Amino acid sequence: MNSSSDNPPATARSQVFRARGLTKVYGSGDAEVRALAGVDLDLRAGELVVLLGPSGSGKTTLLNMLGGLDVPTDGELAYRDLDLTHATDPQLTRYRRDSVGFIFQFYNLIPSLTARENVGLITEIARDPMAPEAALEMVGLSPRLDHFPAQLSGGEQQRVAIARAIAKRPEVLLCDEPTGALDVRTGIVVLEAIERVNRELGTLTVIITHNAVMADMADRVIHFSDGRVHHIHENASRARPDSLKW
Amino acid sequence: MLPHLDRKLWRDLGHMKGQAVAVALVMACGLTMLIMARSLIYSLESTRDEYYRAHRFAEVFAYLKRAPLSLVERVRAIPGISAAQPGISVQVTLDIPGLDEPASGNVRSLPDFGEPELNRLFLRRGQWLQPGKRREVLVSEAFADANKLQPGHQIALLLNGRRQDFRVAGIVLSPEFIFESRPGAALPDNRTYGVFWMPYEELAYAFDLYGAFNSLTLKLEPGASERAVIAALDPLLEPFGGRGAFGRADHPSHIRVLDEIGVLRTLSIAFPIVFLSVAAFMTNAVLSRLLNLQREQIAILKAFGFGNRQIVLHYLKFAFVMVAGGTVLGSIGGYFQGQQLVKMYHLFFRFPELAFRLDRSAFVVALFVSAFAAVVGVFGAVRRAAKLPPADAMRPEPPANYRPALLERTGISHLLSHSFRIAVRNLERRPVQAFFTVAGLALATGIMIVPNCFRDSVTHVLGFQWDVVQRQDITVGLIEPGNRRAQHAFAHLPGVLAVEPLRSAFARISFQHRHRQIGIQGQPRAAQHSRVVAKGNTQIALPSDGIVVSSKLAEVLGAKIGDELHVEFLEGKRLVRDVTLLGLAEDLAGISAYMELDGLNRLMGEGDVVTGASFTIDAAHKADFLRALKTVPRIGWVAIKESLRENFAKTTAASINLIQMIYLVFATVVAFGVVYNNARISLAERSRELATLRVIGFSQGEVGAVLVTELVLLALCAVPLGLLLGTGFATAIVTQVNTETVRLPLVFTTHNFAFAVMVVTIASTLSGLLVLRRLNQLNLVGALRAPE
Ligand SMILES: Nc1ncnc2c1ncn2[C@@H]1O[C@H](COP(=O)(O)OP(=O)(O)OP(=O)(O)O)[C@@H](O)[C@H]1O
Ligand SMILES: [Mg+2]
Repeated sequence: MNSSSDNPPATARSQVFRARGLTKVYGSGDAEVRALAGVDLDLRAGELVVLLGPSGSGKTTLLNMLGGLDVPTDGELAYRDLDLTHATDPQLTRYRRDSVGFIFQFYNLIPSLTARENVGLITEIARDPMAPEAALEMVGLSPRLDHFPAQLSGGEQQRVAIARAIAKRPEVLLCDEPTGALDVRTGIVVLEAIERVNRELGTLTVIITHNAVMADMADRVIHFSDGRVHHIHENASRARPDSLKW
Repeated sequence: MLPHLDRKLWRDLGHMKGQAVAVALVMACGLTMLIMARSLIYSLESTRDEYYRAHRFAEVFAYLKRAPLSLVERVRAIPGISAAQPGISVQVTLDIPGLDEPASGNVRSLPDFGEPELNRLFLRRGQWLQPGKRREVLVSEAFADANKLQPGHQIALLLNGRRQDFRVAGIVLSPEFIFESRPGAALPDNRTYGVFWMPYEELAYAFDLYGAFNSLTLKLEPGASERAVIAALDPLLEPFGGRGAFGRADHPSHIRVLDEIGVLRTLSIAFPIVFLSVAAFMTNAVLSRLLNLQREQIAILKAFGFGNRQIVLHYLKFAFVMVAGGTVLGSIGGYFQGQQLVKMYHLFFRFPELAFRLDRSAFVVALFVSAFAAVVGVFGAVRRAAKLPPADAMRPEPPANYRPALLERTGISHLLSHSFRIAVRNLERRPVQAFFTVAGLALATGIMIVPNCFRDSVTHVLGFQWDVVQRQDITVGLIEPGNRRAQHAFAHLPGVLAVEPLRSAFARISFQHRHRQIGIQGQPRAAQHSRVVAKGNTQIALPSDGIVVSSKLAEVLGAKIGDELHVEFLEGKRLVRDVTLLGLAEDLAGISAYMELDGLNRLMGEGDVVTGASFTIDAAHKADFLRALKTVPRIGWVAIKESLRENFAKTTAASINLIQMIYLVFATVVAFGVVYNNARISLAERSRELATLRVIGFSQGEVGAVLVTELVLLALCAVPLGLLLGTGFATAIVTQVNTETVRLPLVFTTHNFAFAVMVVTIASTLSGLLVLRRLNQLNLVGALRAPE
């Protein structure tokens, strides 16, 4: 099934991120590392983008910039009208709170809060959140509402993390190797949840992965190397996560 | 509904409750002392002030030989005086049935009709004196209690040499005798000294003073200058043998209460500071560790849009919960402790009622101070966490940089066990952690030193005062100055091994604008009885001219050796002389001035005068001696060293020891709290690493050995440091007990140090065992899971 059929063509969607000559340098002198070396990139509303590249090529660094977790050393980066390069700390906080959802490889749930509370923690401060229960329903975790992270499997924890990221209806969903720690079957369940959110809520979704197979489920695939965009591949149609083979 | 962040707070706290409780307890100890001491100050001050007001305690006091009552009119004419109460005050000897030694007392007159204008009495039991009824007295409560006197009992007074029996009409208290002690005596002995009140007429006839007075008390108009009044009063009384008027600042009972409040005030500051600093330190250790463990959680909160303020507040709340817990516990503790301690003051202060009064402002101070301590303790750590760039925090801590430890590089590594090597490497790798542990253990050791230093100092006073300084067994004072013949008579009393004459001369000693009224002690040059002792316990041989004073008196006067002190004698020929200050005596109670006996007599323009003598007695004949002494006429008072020592041990020493016990318990709690806390933190920080050791095949014993070795190494560094620290704390606190009534010398004993080391060792061992038990429960799988 071509799930992108109900979305408008990629080129017609409004632009969300715009990066020009984006550069990030860590350290200085001998220890200097150029994690990003001039990235030019545009990301549009509602699209699902997969970011591929060898280890150390700067994928996580880019994602951190997009999510306002870190600021670039040089270049331009804008989220709609917001200049992320020069935003103040309160502006970035506000931006993350209202517009971004994160999913990390190691789930990073708060261990002392239940699944429902982990989601509730975020919806409490969001502008227009859905109910935590509804978000957990979307990732198929209704029966596990009151379990603590330690009582959940890795896949379940990652789905709580997804629910937490989407419950505030973010415009951007940033996923850093969301299936990295999961087996194939569980990985597919998690990807289905992410794909469903992207489709149903029209959330711009960026997924970092080392798994080239996942490229098939994207609208666009960005190949990254040495801190630069190497090339971008546009899929004619998106594959369903459960049809992926790896 | 509770915000989710607060749920996290409570659950996290639940997880670390042992440590939270330890911090709260330490804080509570400090606050208990703060609230207790401040409330006791408030209780004493407010009770005293109300007592003074209600019973019209005078503001200026004067004693003279004899003046006609008509003089009082002229006194009243002095501007600034609102009331004047003349009276008679005489020293008498008593005969108490069942008491071996002669007792003495002060008999004071009461107006024949109506209440006195000043220094009104409070009737505790029995009845007031009935007008017109003779042979009745009122007796001070301290004396009555010590001798189990009740209204209706008989008591024999030697009035002007004539023995008369009196019926005890009532037991009373006077604002002039909140602290009741023989004038000039540094320590009270309520068994052998009492205060009595009789109608003016009866007393005046007995002493040939009818129509006259020999004591005068004044109340001033609001705003009147005490100095000016005394300056106008003294010339008026001088022709009548006035001995110089003085204000409340020189009033013996008033000074004692003031001094006690002063000591409490020191304690209310010094101890809480030490304890709250420890608590602040612990809060810091607990929170730093928490923040370290929650780096990733902080990052997540930030990634999802929680602001710095919210995060700082969240972690400060951890501290505030502990503060709140500590404050509640401390308030309850301070309240009950204070109620217990206030009873102790009944031992030496006589108030109509001394109830414990809570100083409510102390709560506010307590809350403020402990919150301040906590914030100081954690603010840095919390801010650092908030500053953490979220992307950084997401990365696990960089892998530790292991390398052979310094010790191994010295080439003796083959001698060391595996566990020992790991332990040493760990310590070198985490110097900050090691520092915290050492500091914690050192604090725990240090805090143990203080209370025992108090105890040892008191023990030293007891020994020093009575074994080094006062070697006589009994001291006797005459009613009036006599000559050497009296001493001759003394020497022939049964059982006397040695007798030394002494002379006490009442004088006002001043230097520049400061002065004190005291009795100058004249005694033989190198007295074997009342020895004058300088720093280092060496005896001072009194020079034939010149004066030696308590170093406290020199401090009060602002004088140093070589200065000329101005001495106005208030008896005899009332000469005024300048005398060179030649030495400082390290006495521990009261303020005194000493001169060589002949030198003193010469200075006063008198011949061979003595006012008493001190004796060493053959213990086997002590009873004979005392019985014989009762028959010697003109004996004013008798001080028996053993009774004084016993009395001191029962009152002052008992109270200091009670406080010391409380502090010791607190210090022990703190020592345990700090040590336990340290062990828990180091376990928590290391659980992953220790689990890894277990997984790769170390036995439980070997892993335990790593931890224990670390703890032992740290303790070895910490304990000497702690002893040093404790010496500092104790020096700072004990030297604060430095009043005109009592001074504590700084005494450190090996016993004190050994006890501190023992407590910390036991605490460490127990905490170690507790942690080792947790080690058995170490969740190998959980600890190795991916970071949550
Ligand atoms: N805080 C930092 N300090 C120094 N160097 C850093 C820092 N963060 C990242 N780097 C370096 O920047 C480069 C890019 O790192 P980044 O984490 O973006 O790579 P990545 O593409 O996500 O790799 P992986 O696929 O392994 O996660 C790496 O060489 C890394 O060592
Ligand atoms: Mg990465």
